[in-house]
Amino acid sequence: MATVEERAESGGRGVSEAMLRGFFREMLLIRRFEEKVEDRFRAGELPGFLHVAIGQEATATGVCAALAREDVIASTHRAHGHAIAKGTPVERIMAELYGKVEGCSKGYGGSMHLYDVEVGNLGANAVVGGGLPGIVGAALAFKMRGEKRVAVAFFGDGATNTGTFHESMNLAQLWTVPAIFVLENNGWAESTPASQQLPLPVEELGKRAAAYGMKLIEADGQDVEAVYLATLAAREHALAGKGPVLLHLRTHRLTGHFVGDPQVYRDKDELKEERETKDPIRLLGARLEIGEDEFSTIDGELTAEVEAAVEFAKAGTDPKPEDALKYVYA
Amino acid sequence: MATEVKLPRLGQGMESGTIVRWLKTEGDAVSKGEPLYELDTDKVTQEVEADSDGVLLKIVISDGEVDVGTTVGIIGAQDEDVSALLADAQGGNGDAPAAAASEAPTAEDATPPQAEQQPAPPPSDTESQAEPSDTESQAEPSAPSEATEAPPARAEGERVKASPLARRIARERGVDLSLISGTGPEGRVIAEDVEKAAVQPAAPSAPAAAPEFEVVELTSTRKTIARRLTEAWQAPVFQLTVTADATELVATRERMVELMRESDTKPTVSDVLTRLVASALVRHPPVNANFVDGKLHRFSAANVGLAVAAPAGLVVPVIRDADRKSVQQIAADRADIVSRARDGKLALVDLEGGTFTISNLGMYGIEQFIAVLNPPQVAILAVGSIEDRPTAIDGEFAIVPTMAMTLTCDHRAIDGSEGAEFLRGVKAYVESPALAL
Amino acid sequence: MPELTYREAVRDALGKALREDDSVFIMGEDIAEMGGSMAVTQGLLDEFGPTRVRNTPISEMAIVGSGIGAAIQGMRPIVEIMYEDFLTISMEQLVNQAAKHRTMSGGQISVPLTIRTQGGAGWSPGAQHAQQLEAWFVHVPGLKVVFASTPEDARGLLWSAIYDDNPTVFFEHRTLYSIKGEVSDELQPIPLGKARIHREGSDVTVVATGRLVHESLQAAEEAEKDGISVEVVDPRTLLPLDEQTIVESVKKTARCVTAHEAVTRGGFGAELAAVIQHAAFDWLDAPIERVGAAFAPLAFAPGMEQWAVPHADDVLEAIRRTVARG
Repeated sequence: MATVEERAESGGRGVSEAMLRGFFREMLLIRRFEEKVEDRFRAGELPGFLHVAIGQEATATGVCAALAREDVIASTHRAHGHAIAKGTPVERIMAELYGKVEGCSKGYGGSMHLYDVEVGNLGANAVVGGGLPGIVGAALAFKMRGEKRVAVAFFGDGATNTGTFHESMNLAQLWTVPAIFVLENNGWAESTPASQQLPLPVEELGKRAAAYGMKLIEADGQDVEAVYLATLAAREHALAGKGPVLLHLRTHRLTGHFVGDPQVYRDKDELKEERETKDPIRLLGARLEIGEDEFSTIDGELTAEVEAAVEFAKAGTDPKPEDALKYVYA
Repeated sequence: MATEVKLPRLGQGMESGTIVRWLKTEGDAVSKGEPLYELDTDKVTQEVEADSDGVLLKIVISDGEVDVGTTVGIIGAQDEDVSALLADAQGGNGDAPAAAASEAPTAEDATPPQAEQQPAPPPSDTESQAEPSDTESQAEPSAPSEATEAPPARAEGERVKASPLARRIARERGVDLSLISGTGPEGRVIAEDVEKAAVQPAAPSAPAAAPEFEVVELTSTRKTIARRLTEAWQAPVFQLTVTADATELVATRERMVELMRESDTKPTVSDVLTRLVASALVRHPPVNANFVDGKLHRFSAANVGLAVAAPAGLVVPVIRDADRKSVQQIAADRADIVSRARDGKLALVDLEGGTFTISNLGMYGIEQFIAVLNPPQVAILAVGSIEDRPTAIDGEFAIVPTMAMTLTCDHRAIDGSEGAEFLRGVKAYVESPALAL
Repeated sequence: MPELTYREAVRDALGKALREDDSVFIMGEDIAEMGGSMAVTQGLLDEFGPTRVRNTPISEMAIVGSGIGAAIQGMRPIVEIMYEDFLTISMEQLVNQAAKHRTMSGGQISVPLTIRTQGGAGWSPGAQHAQQLEAWFVHVPGLKVVFASTPEDARGLLWSAIYDDNPTVFFEHRTLYSIKGEVSDELQPIPLGKARIHREGSDVTVVATGRLVHESLQAAEEAEKDGISVEVVDPRTLLPLDEQTIVESVKKTARCVTAHEAVTRGGFGAELAAVIQHAAFDWLDAPIERVGAAFAPLAFAPGMEQWAVPHADDVLEAIRRTVARG
């Protein structure tokens, strides 16, 4: 979906094969991590409520690769990929899912509240649309202080129906703050399809930017290279003082809304077809002509890395129950 | 549908009772009217009957002192789940006494059946009990429902209302709150009331010399005595004393004994005196009265209470219609109630409805004493021993048996002259028993 | 000592913070040229310019939410929500975001945000412009809640709120903006969580907030004529609460009345009563009385409004109930 114009906006930069291989590796790591999470959840090891983003790895990897470490993101309930892509080690995320002190939120957050301020992750948010206004404020702070940083909000198509989305888009554009609104449009608001929650055709959701006079950049969310280039363009726009950007990425959720979702609302054949044709990892693997042997090697390494993360997490420290009070007030 | 077994109020003054033991165990079938448990009230020990059929599913309180209205057990169908009811009962138990207190029957309830203005009195609702001064605003709302509701539904006890601070001070100074009448809203005992009541010496700074003592828990009868008589102490009273020549009294009694059949109970001097006093009472209505909630209830019959020392403490069983009974009948009644009092077998009905009390300590050789009022009665007669004493008769010393009688009067109800007239009447009857006929 | 109005006292704290600290900025609806709907921020635009005195769209979620985001990035934003009724619109950001970031992040983040707002009856605005909702926020761990009743308190407490590293909701009362009070020459910060004893007494403690502090002081004067000695305590900070001062006062007087303009049911007085009965149970000589508004959306007609919200005579009646006899 990335248009010629959008590619041009990337400054004509191409993406090297080495970089794409790096993307492939990270996307597969996210995939293996989330599969392991599903597996451990089903085994009863993980408490709480888990949402995986299988099928959406390219948006996480592509966007975060284009950001600087000091740029900040606000993530969503489907957060594992964003956290990994922004630079938090998988063992710290896994430890968080096990509720351990070694977790990236020290066991206070869980899957829906992964934070890592050091790498610029301001936290995943379990309220749909909840993180957007904060990103406007972060961007405002950067602007007021003259810092060359952008603030990025991830959210889905469902969030574009919330009040915070509209108020945030409006305010960000009004104050021309360096914010990027990353719309990961997978066409589903939990179990509700686009046709029941969006007044626009799902592909045209980016039109909402026009209502605020905001710059829109769109890319195929299953094409990591396109996502990366589009994000670079958005970041440049924002840092140039031209205001925020709505980055519309059409993507596909190849699993249920949450781990254990039977997806009774979804056409099984359609899902099967999407898994075959829209899997961003498979698409990139084909393009890079990664053969079976090479894949096995990479996969083996990543699977081992994820296994090690599980071991690390299990060996972690349980927080003292009474420490529940520790961070209520600064 | 399971029902809660609530501690019933078995008499006007009853606020709590002590469950002695259950006569049924959990799981036993019970039928309505069957004795369920033994209850020691402040007056008597009695068996309380089940008021519904079913199975005793749960004994909530197995023994000990319980406020009226508290759920003590649950009767229902076999295997019925009573957990909710139980939770309610236990949650609600804390509130029950308080709720009951605000609805506590007041002035009207205390009105004995003989009172003319009582519209529909329960048959045995005359237990003598000085109500704490309930205001009219409380008495009135409860009155209409009084008339329509069955007495047991209203039979709730009244707990001592006291502020937490008052309770703490009472606890610290060892003051019995039940002995204090509160001046706070709705008679609540507040701190100041306890402070006034606690005329306790300051605790010695060196506790080393504390003498050994035995702690004796008050029986419920003792507690009632303590509470009631403390209440009585607040009444403004005066005393009148006369000494009567008991020659005729003694002679009358002796003649009666002579005429007795063997099977009959021999009358005592007290029995004769009871009959004489009863006659004086009906002729002096101001003394034969109760003082209830600022009103006087005057009675046409004389129900004479006799102070009896029972093992658990003083009780005052009543001889009804003593003015219309023969000495013989009075003797029989007296023998019956005194023996039952000593065995702890009195029923509430034996204790209720007194219009006047005689306390006789003559048998202990006490020559003269002052009795404490037995509220809501307005007077009590303290009778001393009959002794041969030198007495001036017609200007000459003579040795005659005399008896001192001291009348304690509630000045709110009786003036000195009214008391004096009554006492003069009693003296006249004692000296010439024929006048009483 | 100089005198300031309550309005000037709030402005004084804002101005001083803006003057001394680049990380401080203020934003809200109509706060710039207009100087705020209550004229609190008048003159600040001229002194500090539109970057730091920012008019916002009518977007309560975004106002509070962007304040949160800026605060997390090290700014000390002070946002104004024109009426506390409108605070309900930003509840999600306040309750789910501001109050929770610190815990959810395991202490990585703090949110030094101040939310100024105002409300209160007495001018017939009807049901949506006069609510007193402070109790809602006291229920949310992670927030701090302040309700100032005098110029000196408003100034000193606002300063402390701005420099507290936690999100703080700062309530002002509309009918108090014009009252005058002595203030210290220099702004004296007043620590959060410290009550003020306005008046000492020995028979009854009235714990009052906002406008009812003044009504209670008036009631105390009246009670004095009847020989009832009333202590009036203003917690000032509702969260965290200075339980010690309040409980000590009640232990001294053995009686307590709570008073606020918010509806009685579920109001802050309920929390006070619960705290007091627990900590001072054995010292209470009468039931704790609560004074608050009738449980109804505020009616427009002046007669109904005046009837519904509490005044000095309501406090006086409650005081009398606590010392009543018979």
